[in-house]
Amino acid sequence: MTEGINLKEIERKVYTSYHQDGLIDIAIALIVLAFGIMMIFDMAWMGGVFAVVGMSLYVAAKKTLTVPRIGFVKFATHRVKAMQTMVIGVLSLFMLLGIVAFMQTEGGGTPAWLLFAIENHMLVIGVSISASFCAAGYTFRINRMYGYALLALAMFVAGHFLYYPLYYYMILLGSLILLSGLAMLISFVRRNPPTTGSIGDRGNEEQ
Amino acid sequence: MKSNEAKDDELPSISKLDKTIHEPARLMIMAHLFVVESADFLFLQRQTQMTPGNLSAHLSKLEDAGYVEITKEFIERKPHTALALTKKGRDAFRQYRRDIKQIADKLPE
Repeated sequence: MTEGINLKEIERKVYTSYHQDGLIDIAIALIVLAFGIMMIFDMAWMGGVFAVVGMSLYVAAKKTLTVPRIGFVKFATHRVKAMQTMVIGVLSLFMLLGIVAFMQTEGGGTPAWLLFAIENHMLVIGVSISASFCAAGYTFRINRMYGYALLALAMFVAGHFLYYPLYYYMILLGSLILLSGLAMLISFVRRNPPTTGSIGDRGNEEQ
Repeated sequence: MKSNEAKDDELPSISKLDKTIHEPARLMIMAHLFVVESADFLFLQRQTQMTPGNLSAHLSKLEDAGYVEITKEFIERKPHTALALTKKGRDAFRQYRRDIKQIADKLPE
């Protein structure tokens, strides 16, 4: 009897259905691609600008494509807080590492850990991106993020031995995630035609 | 008559179950609204796979019991129905889960 009310499973199902449109994948892919392309022009910092633009586009696309098809849901506060904590946590960690590296370099010479990180930068970047995907997968309860984590790790580990420029891998990773996201979006749009008239309204049925 | 009394003695908590929630369709609605802060009519309909009429009827019963709050608003000039569990609804659902677990635990293997 109690198996009938598996709240964790219902919560997971609600999350999965809300993210089955592939929009989060497309947004992430565009950010990774932007970083990769900007690296070619030595303007990787511009990737940060695209991250802000990408997230704004994600919100707008969600309103235009997803809500008219499957409706709107506001997730429980504790879940939203967990998402915010995850994003802030990952950004803070990278920022902290940057500040420590800058301070130690300014203080006299390059520290050994930074030299090691520079020497093995492909592995460091691969692990960082992979960890970010895992954190996103855990927080948003999207299992395919673990797949992207594995893909990123495999690509950057291979890149450690292949000596192609970093942007090659960023562009390839971004393109693969973009393709996956687009395939999901097409499938989602086909499976869920938009409702006509009102958004999530009871219409005349309640009379 | 006697056999009915005997049954009540064996599983007294069954009769105490909240019948508003115990109906499968309403239980599904309550469970879905319990895991979110709020959802709209369309989202709940897609999740529960109910027809609009059926969902509407069950929501009305839950609203009458004070378990669900139904807010009608306009978003970009389109009518929108937002649904959320009230505090009474959340408490009732928690109690229902406790009751049903208690009953299930008492049943023989």
